[in-house]
Amino acid sequence: MGRHLHGRGALFDADPAGLAPRLVGLRPHHHRGHPVEHPQELPFVVLTGARGLGKSAVLGELLDAYRGHTPVALIDCAEPQFAGPPAERPAESWSPVAQGLLVIAEQLAAPVTGAGRITFPRLMSGLVAVAAGGWGDADSERIRREVERILLLNESGSWVSGLAGRWAGKVAAKVVAAATGTGPLLSGAIEATLESVAEGFTSRRHQKASVWYRTYPNAGGHAQRGLMLLSGHFRAGGTSREHAERYLVRALLADLTEAYAGVLPRMQRLGRPLVLIDNAQTAPGPGLVEAVLRDRAEGVTDQVAFVAARRGEGRESLRSAVRRELAEVARRSGWAPEAAPSSRALLVALAPLTPDDTLHLIGAVCGDTPVPPQLPHATHRLTGGNPLGIVLLAESAAQNLPGASSLGELLTAGVRPAEDRPAVPTYQALLDRLVPAEHLEELTVLAAAHDHDSACALAAALLPDTFGPADVRALQTRLAEEGLPTVPGRFVGDPFVRTLLLLRLHLRDPDHASWRTAHETLSAHYPDPEHAPYRLHHELALGRTESAVAHLRDGFLSLDTRAWLRTLRFVASAPYFHAHDAEGRDSTGPGDRRAAVALGRTDAGQEPPEGVDAVLHLRIRRLLHAVWLLADPLVLPDAKVCDRLRFELEQLSNLRPAGNALLWRASRDWPAAALAGRPMDGPDDGQGAGGADDRSGEA
Amino acid sequence: MARRGVGTWVRESVWEIPLRRYLALLVAAALVAGLVFAVRPLLRDDRSCAPGVSRPEGSDECVGVATGSYDFGQTRLRDVVRAIRRENDRLKPGGYVTVALLLPYTSTSATSLNDILHQLQGAYLAQYRANHDSNGEAPAIRLVLANPGATGGHWRQTVDQLTRMTTSADRLRAVAGVGQSTDNAKKAVRELTRRHVPVVGSSITADDLANGQHGQDPYPGLARVSPTNTDEARALASFARVSAGKALLVYDKPGDPYTRTLQRSFAALIKGSPYEPQPFTPPADRSQEGTTANTFRQITHLVCDTSRETDTILFAGRHTQLRQFINALGGRGCQDRRFTVLTGDEASYLTHESELDRTALRHRLAVRYTSLAHPDAWARDTARTGGSAADFGALNELLAGARRAPVGPIGSAALDDGQLITGYDTLQLAVHGIREAVPDGRKIPGLADVGLQWPQVKGSLRVDGASGWICLDVHGNPYDKAVPIVELTPEGGARFVRIAWPEGKPPAKDCLPPSP
Repeated sequence: MGRHLHGRGALFDADPAGLAPRLVGLRPHHHRGHPVEHPQELPFVVLTGARGLGKSAVLGELLDAYRGHTPVALIDCAEPQFAGPPAERPAESWSPVAQGLLVIAEQLAAPVTGAGRITFPRLMSGLVAVAAGGWGDADSERIRREVERILLLNESGSWVSGLAGRWAGKVAAKVVAAATGTGPLLSGAIEATLESVAEGFTSRRHQKASVWYRTYPNAGGHAQRGLMLLSGHFRAGGTSREHAERYLVRALLADLTEAYAGVLPRMQRLGRPLVLIDNAQTAPGPGLVEAVLRDRAEGVTDQVAFVAARRGEGRESLRSAVRRELAEVARRSGWAPEAAPSSRALLVALAPLTPDDTLHLIGAVCGDTPVPPQLPHATHRLTGGNPLGIVLLAESAAQNLPGASSLGELLTAGVRPAEDRPAVPTYQALLDRLVPAEHLEELTVLAAAHDHDSACALAAALLPDTFGPADVRALQTRLAEEGLPTVPGRFVGDPFVRTLLLLRLHLRDPDHASWRTAHETLSAHYPDPEHAPYRLHHELALGRTESAVAHLRDGFLSLDTRAWLRTLRFVASAPYFHAHDAEGRDSTGPGDRRAAVALGRTDAGQEPPEGVDAVLHLRIRRLLHAVWLLADPLVLPDAKVCDRLRFELEQLSNLRPAGNALLWRASRDWPAAALAGRPMDGPDDGQGAGGADDRSGEA
Repeated sequence: MARRGVGTWVRESVWEIPLRRYLALLVAAALVAGLVFAVRPLLRDDRSCAPGVSRPEGSDECVGVATGSYDFGQTRLRDVVRAIRRENDRLKPGGYVTVALLLPYTSTSATSLNDILHQLQGAYLAQYRANHDSNGEAPAIRLVLANPGATGGHWRQTVDQLTRMTTSADRLRAVAGVGQSTDNAKKAVRELTRRHVPVVGSSITADDLANGQHGQDPYPGLARVSPTNTDEARALASFARVSAGKALLVYDKPGDPYTRTLQRSFAALIKGSPYEPQPFTPPADRSQEGTTANTFRQITHLVCDTSRETDTILFAGRHTQLRQFINALGGRGCQDRRFTVLTGDEASYLTHESELDRTALRHRLAVRYTSLAHPDAWARDTARTGGSAADFGALNELLAGARRAPVGPIGSAALDDGQLITGYDTLQLAVHGIREAVPDGRKIPGLADVGLQWPQVKGSLRVDGASGWICLDVHGNPYDKAVPIVELTPEGGARFVRIAWPEGKPPAKDCLPPSP
């Protein structure tokens, strides 16, 4: 049994049954039947979610859970083999869908417990017809290579065919002879294939299969003519090719239906065949999905369980699909088809993992390595439940503990993906998989931005001239398509990805030049007083705290308490990657000085400006550093600092009778939230008060 | 998967897949059935000995009707059994009827076995003659061996089997033999005749194993070759002229049908004797030694104590006890006195008895008895009716031919104990009855019809037996059958003395029993 997936019980639970056993009709990892939820028509399940949410892991687990028990195929549409035709093969006789069908059928053919191989005579004939369209100038060796792979789909693998000799080899020779002979190439090859199907075996099933293409439109009752039309449509491209591809998909499903029909197969096979399509947003995914959905909508039924995974929500392509959260389908899907083809799909959004799942996952990965008790919750706060983030951080922890002391160090520390592979910084490994590689550079820069305007300012300062405002918009759209949340006030909505990008920005240059330029650009972008928090936020990111302390100190008495707390949180949400001097050199060496300031150990050396309340100044300074530290998702919460935070807020609440209640509430809630690894939500959050741009108190 | 338990494997790789489930159920059912078939014979040990022969519960004896060539473990029977098998196998299916020779083949007594062997040889010779030397008369005769056990204790099983054979392809039409007149033999004959199976008694002589006693026929369909004890005693009396004052009676108490009728007949002869009859009590199986030897030693004292006119001892007992008594008399005190022991045909068993102290016979002791038959009877006696040397000569001829193939070999044959002659005559009578009962135009007689023939065996329809004429009265008993009186010789054998007749004289030429 493979590694157990955490937090995916809604899919894999056996008792009560999750979605997978109800769909496939088999208990995962067991050869044991289970009643299906939709016995007549079944939904085409599409798992949605952003990168790193574990879609591929779920599909992998499905493959693992059902391999050997029911025919199962997994294709990853992002693989290069679907990107373009192999060398020598003309594009007119190749398409991602045809290639995908071939790969799927090859995997489905494998024998399972209790039943032998499945043969695909219909799909085989169709694929041969399609391939034959590109043999105009091919040498016989290439034809043999191509046709043999396709013909293997019809190998039953039984001893009977073993006795009869390598059927595929013999037929291949016939087809090659027909294709390279003097007669018409295409019809010759098709005729040879069909004859082989009909004559190679005397079984009724093969007779039936050999005449299946009679029903192809305009075939006039001749299977051979049907196949030639199919080949022609395929070569024509465009919608004609789509039509031909739909017929090929139908051939695959018909072969599968045939494999399950009859008394003997019903007594041998449990459940339904399962087809898994990863990265279904790229070709051949959409073509396959649409072909199946359209056929099902038109009443060409099948009993194949499809589970696809696509990035983003697919609002355009699957407009009428039934949408469910993962937890909602745990016991029943509540799916019912409507008229539109896309309503045959059931979109299931994968949810982030819960803190408990995080705890279990880290425990599972780290094994015997002692883990700081706050690490799991802090990891969950940092990653927001992103399974990939949790796993890689846990791997990093397992490989680097106890050397590393904070999450930031775990992210920068190297992690080896495998024993014999070189170590890669963890944040780099994560970004490789969470962010589209072609936009990594741009996003690294723009991660610090808050909105379109600030992004454009950053782009102008740090990106090549070719990257203009239009490209910024395109990138924003791309992020939305990727399934990353859109959050006001954040150019990159996902906090985890944003933190990783900022870390990358910080570490991009040895002297942190990009980092400083970015924050200086942004702080210059907000010169006016009403945007002071933004300016202060970025100054803080650069390590300059004086203005922030002054602003908060002066505002404490004048500003509304609620707004003041919000400002405090927003300013203190600035990233912190230890202090640097003007030349970018580490002024104090690596280490976190915020705790020392927050605990008042540096107060003695501080000289409050003239004419200000020295006690308040120092208190605000300590408070700012405490919040800055505790809100930083990259460090583990410090109980002493939490205590100090509570104390400082209590003291402040005594100074402001008007805001007493709010401050006192914050003095209770914030330390607790920080210790538990939760974001320090203000008492006003959820009430809709305050500006939209600076509500967020955490990075 | 490999780590999973067998239970999971059975559940998931067999049970969950309907085809495999049904196949597995089929295989399991077949296995269980096979196991049952394999284990059942082991649990219930094989009690069969040969076709038709098996060991009953609680016994090691092979009893039943041997339809093949089974010799009941007796090597001396082997040759004749094989000869019978050869003759049986020669017969065409549908053209024969079966006659069973009911004798205690598993007897452990060498004497009894000798008699059995001789009767079987005689029966076989009669079968051979019936099938070969009778102008193709139908039906042919198949001979089988029926064993009720050494003491006849398993007679019921054997009788049941015989009864079944009357309706099967065996077409059993008569049971011959029966052997000694024991209680079990009586029960067997009663049951057989109750089921309308004709029975031809060979050496049964007991009065109560016969019809016509006190005017009743308790065994309808029973015919006998040997005279009743009463007739023997009458013949013996007519020969010895014993009187009350000269004879002492020694008898078996409680006795069996044979000894009781003999005792009654003797007692009637010496009515008013001054000596009280002396009883002895042998074991239930009278072929066993028991403790009677002591009793006989005491009785010999009494014998010597009698008055000197007493010179005859009438012995009503079985042969084992007779042998013990003779041995005891051999050591008697009054060696100077001459005694003659008179007894029934049981004494013929002693002619080849090795444990008999033959020197006793040299000490003024003569043992004379009524033999059922004797080879010298017709050579020495010149009676003109009641039997003939020619009839006996036919048997002699057969016997001579049986020393080698194709008739023989039939093992060592001896005529002097009369058993071979008796067995021969018994089967001859059975064959006579069977063939007389065949309806016109048919080949096979009805079962009960055979028994109805017995009263007609008289006059010209009599059977000219090797032991003498067999003329049956209406009760199936022989009328005025020749009774050879023989005497045991010290050399081991029997010396023919003369023929005695129950009626005091040979029957008339027509051989018709007078009205009672």
